[in-house]
Amino acid sequence: MATWDEIAEALDDYTVTCNGNERLRKMQRDWTRQLHFVCSDTGDTFSMDVRSGEIVATPPGHVGVPDIVVTADSETFCDMFWGDLNPMPKYLRGEIQVRGSQEDVMRLDAISYVIWPDA
Amino acid sequence: MTDQDAASRAIDKQQALAEFGRYVNPQKVRVLRTAGLDIVEGRRSGAWVWDVDGTRYLDCFTSAGSFNVGRRHPRVVAAAKAALDELDHGNFLLASAQKAELAHRLADLAPGDLTCTTFGTGGGEAVDFALKVARGSTGRPRIVSTVNGYHGHTGFALSAGGRDTFREPFEPLMPEFAFVPFGDADALRDAVDERTAGVILEPIQGEGGIVVPPEGYLAAARQTCDATGALLILDEIQTGFGRTGRWFASEHEGVVPDVMTVAKSLGGSLAAISATIYTEDVREFLIPHPFIHLSTFGGSDLACAIALATIDVIADEGLVENAARMGARLHDGLSAVAAEYSDVIAQTRGRGLMAGLKYREDSFGPRMSYHLSRHGVLAFYSGNEPSVMRLMPSLVVTADDVDYLLGALEAAVKDARSGAGPDDAPTTRQRRRPQRAAATP
Repeated sequence: MATWDEIAEALDDYTVTCNGNERLRKMQRDWTRQLHFVCSDTGDTFSMDVRSGEIVATPPGHVGVPDIVVTADSETFCDMFWGDLNPMPKYLRGEIQVRGSQEDVMRLDAISYVIWPDA
Repeated sequence: MTDQDAASRAIDKQQALAEFGRYVNPQKVRVLRTAGLDIVEGRRSGAWVWDVDGTRYLDCFTSAGSFNVGRRHPRVVAAAKAALDELDHGNFLLASAQKAELAHRLADLAPGDLTCTTFGTGGGEAVDFALKVARGSTGRPRIVSTVNGYHGHTGFALSAGGRDTFREPFEPLMPEFAFVPFGDADALRDAVDERTAGVILEPIQGEGGIVVPPEGYLAAARQTCDATGALLILDEIQTGFGRTGRWFASEHEGVVPDVMTVAKSLGGSLAAISATIYTEDVREFLIPHPFIHLSTFGGSDLACAIALATIDVIADEGLVENAARMGARLHDGLSAVAAEYSDVIAQTRGRGLMAGLKYREDSFGPRMSYHLSRHGVLAFYSGNEPSVMRLMPSLVVTADDVDYLLGALEAAVKDARSGAGPDDAPTTRQRRRPQRAAATP
């Protein structure tokens, strides 16, 4: 199990990586979403506020009304945000569950592809 | 197949995927590969398609209902070869025997007094023209469509699409388009007024998740249009040519629209062709404007010859009746599977060989596509409703094919429930995540 500090560190790195990627920012400029995350093993929750492709906040707890809710175990979230894990196989095995539009699921996978093409 | 053949084909497949990724879209390949759907179509015949690696699939997607006569039906292929010996696209400004014969045939087949045709190359183009002629014919601007409706990706057609995801990146689109919930006759009546040129509906929403409207909905739409002078446009692009057990789905309610669009299966799996079919009254607008809508390849002579052979096959081989029979078998089987696995499947729906399975959870759409492919069935979730698996096999399917599908479905549900799926993709670089400090004793 990953601690909240580990998840927060991974989120910080993910935010810097995404926001610093010009290609991704241009690609995602039409994407404004509120994401909620639920750690199925620890019960931790956190949010991600994305506006015009920029991640503007990743606070603990659930903030606002979600467009997408992602549920997985804490280790999976850590590995995913560090770019050490392609989330699609876990999604297809039901280990990552996403409530929301399928287009947004594709977006999340496309973000991974752009920032970590070798992952 | 020898081992050498298999190795050679495997290389061809990887090369095709690599080139597709490089020159078309790398993310498309990545998504398909991860989902176990990185299939490169090779042989195709009847209701079946083979990956170039030799794996066989029962095709239950059929390019969203484009292969009603099956793939490469021998009679359609023969007609295409014969046409190639003497025809080409033809001149779009001139008349041709092939265009005339197909327009005549469509007038005979279409319900009621739909006797006039304008040809196009695909469904979007057919819908574009239907909406243009509605505005031109009535002199009114407003079009009423439905939430989650799907009519194509071209200009007018996309404007009529009831899904924001497809529309928003391209706005502003055409003005004066309104959307009402599908199946709600009261909402439709309230939305249609004296400024409304046309109401566009699918008799059964396809991309919307195989949604069959309540009985009497199409008749109510007809009444609403009659009361206001708006045209009723029925999009039969997925439902037409026998898919639902009638030539056209509107026949289930005995409703005759003013304009009807058809495409997909009209091309017999070989040609890109669509048609907008309308009444003589609607055509009045085109009498002073005979060249106001042109399409270089729309209704090409080659495509018309193929379409004529396709219609002959549907009629001669009783495929409409087969769709009704096999559809009943399929729906009975789906109901049984749904009852057995009610924790996964919430509902089955559809008509004829246009069936939908609604899962209780959105992610089961993609997950079941993966597992069905592992059991030899090609099927995708609906574009506008990912929790619904769309099952639209060719109308040439046999009872054995339907049973094969049902067996595969049951096996796929079991696999999905068990948490089976693709292995984690190996990472080719060092982990970025810092090593966790050793726990303090």
